[in-house]
Amino acid sequence: MRLTRVLLQKRQPLIKFLGKRHTPKQVDHTPHAHPASPTHELPESFASYRTRAQQHGPLGAAQTAQPYGAIGGRPGRALGPVEPKKGEYWDRNELPKRFHRTRWTAAEMEALESGGASMFG
Amino acid sequence: MFSRLLPRTATRSALQAQNQAPHILRSSPITCLLSDRISQRRGYATPAEEKDLVIIGGGVAGYVAAIKAGQEGLKVACIEKRGSLGGTCLNVGCIPSKSLLNNSHLYHQILHDTKNRGIEVGDVKLNLEQMMKAKETSVNGLTKGIEFLFKKNNVEYIKGTGAFADEHTVKVNLVDGGETSVRGKNIFIATGSESTPFPGLTIDEKKVITSTGAIALKQVPKKMVVIGGGIIGLEMGSVWSRLGAEVTVVEFLGQIGGPGMDAEISKNIQKTLAKQGMKFMLNTKVTQGDDSGEIVKLDVEAAKGGKAQTLEADVVLVAIGRRPYTSGLGLETIGLETDNKGRLVIDSEYRTKIPHIRVIGDCTFGPMLAHKAEEEGVAAVEFLTKSYGHVNYGAIPSVMYTHPEVAWVGQNEAELKEAGVKYKVGTFPFSANSRAKTNLDTDGMVKFLADAETDRILGVHIVGPNAGEMIAEGTLALEYGASTEDVGRTSHAHPTLAEAFKEAAMATYSKAIHY
Repeated sequence: MRLTRVLLQKRQPLIKFLGKRHTPKQVDHTPHAHPASPTHELPESFASYRTRAQQHGPLGAAQTAQPYGAIGGRPGRALGPVEPKKGEYWDRNELPKRFHRTRWTAAEMEALESGGASMFG
Repeated sequence: MFSRLLPRTATRSALQAQNQAPHILRSSPITCLLSDRISQRRGYATPAEEKDLVIIGGGVAGYVAAIKAGQEGLKVACIEKRGSLGGTCLNVGCIPSKSLLNNSHLYHQILHDTKNRGIEVGDVKLNLEQMMKAKETSVNGLTKGIEFLFKKNNVEYIKGTGAFADEHTVKVNLVDGGETSVRGKNIFIATGSESTPFPGLTIDEKKVITSTGAIALKQVPKKMVVIGGGIIGLEMGSVWSRLGAEVTVVEFLGQIGGPGMDAEISKNIQKTLAKQGMKFMLNTKVTQGDDSGEIVKLDVEAAKGGKAQTLEADVVLVAIGRRPYTSGLGLETIGLETDNKGRLVIDSEYRTKIPHIRVIGDCTFGPMLAHKAEEEGVAAVEFLTKSYGHVNYGAIPSVMYTHPEVAWVGQNEAELKEAGVKYKVGTFPFSANSRAKTNLDTDGMVKFLADAETDRILGVHIVGPNAGEMIAEGTLALEYGASTEDVGRTSHAHPTLAEAFKEAAMATYSKAIHY
């Protein structure tokens, strides 16, 4: 007991192991000045750009849930397989409009049938 | 043919425009336009993919970020225009200069420092061509190594010059001819820096050189003047001084080594370099230069005004600093702004005002150091994949690879005084270190600066053999918030140069044993 007390009274190093590293659950992603910035402030353009920008969905909305946008925020691999489950089928028409089949136009059909000659006629 | 007429990806509105005006098909220049519009409408079965990350610049910041991103599973492309990876550092900076510094030191040592070591050498001759080849072998090995790492980590390497076409697209003029474009959900700008030119002198990399020319001279100049007594100037001045040139360093400030170097350390290394034959003109400015003749003439005078004189040299090395390199990048296309020194403005997560475009390395804030760029490359990718990243700008070491080397991390005395911080100092000379004694290499010292009250390390400054390696311990201590007592009570192997480090720490909180 006495020995323990003596040991505990010994010098404690300032460097201490803090335990296993954990990913912070809440990270503030609002723009702050870079630590090496000589002015220690951000130009007004940072705020104004974010107010009006629309990239992969509204920036403001994306910042809260997924800081880097719903698309591109995570690697494609992390999104998992894209094949439907066995016995399930997808109808293209149920997908967003940008995935629908592009209809042939009359000009394209003509170009096809003429071997491209109609483009130069 | 059809595939050419109807190539890929696109919007319906483009073709609607075509439907509304079918007559434009008849005009050939407009046909091209239409063809382009159609090409924007309909995609091939496998359209060009959008990368998770596109990096412009394959220097230390860019290639490290590319490899890290590849490791994290991102689809990444790296655009580099030099034709080889590694940027300034590997191709014309840190690496080739270290090859020359090492080999010129060996040559100098064999010439001047063997007899008292009991080594009799015969006729010693310099083969500069071979020394340059040795340098190129090192450089080629390392740059090819990065290409291998790119392949290993699935990084697409695009050889060409990139410029923004829009906020997500980079147009690339390929080195081998032709052009392509690549889209990225995220884009990193890592275009690095270039030597700042000296007004009035034309850089030809033969008579008037930058660091790029200083690693590739064909012969040893008789007289060399170095404008700027910073790290690059002193390293390259050292190389040519050792190989036989008469080197004079002209520095505007009152000390060599640049602004971060501690004044006491700076005086120490200046004395040693002067012993080696280098001449110094401090507090001196170059008012004008004339490079029209065989010999370059420089008019110099005291920085605060004084008697003018003319210096003559076969070669003038301009080493007054570096500036961010962003020209041709098309920043104006996407409205990105730079500050008054040409640095791209970013926030604490390396984002520009356009959040998916980030900037790392020399072309933004912070010291222009390869290891700082490397840290930023990793941190910026971690912000993408993990939502957090970190670089401690207060614990980035600096090293000058002269002999002896100079290295430091943290704050120097002048900075602490300016900040009004109460500090204590502990030093230990290499002349009292057993390993330095056995190596007959005893110039220099280790110096600690610690908080007077808490003993926390605030700065470590070393001039001496192996300082560049030893500073890693100081950086770790600073990063961990160690006290000098922590270092002083850590066992260091005997006999090593590192014992000088421990003893300097002991001298800060108590007393050194061997001095």
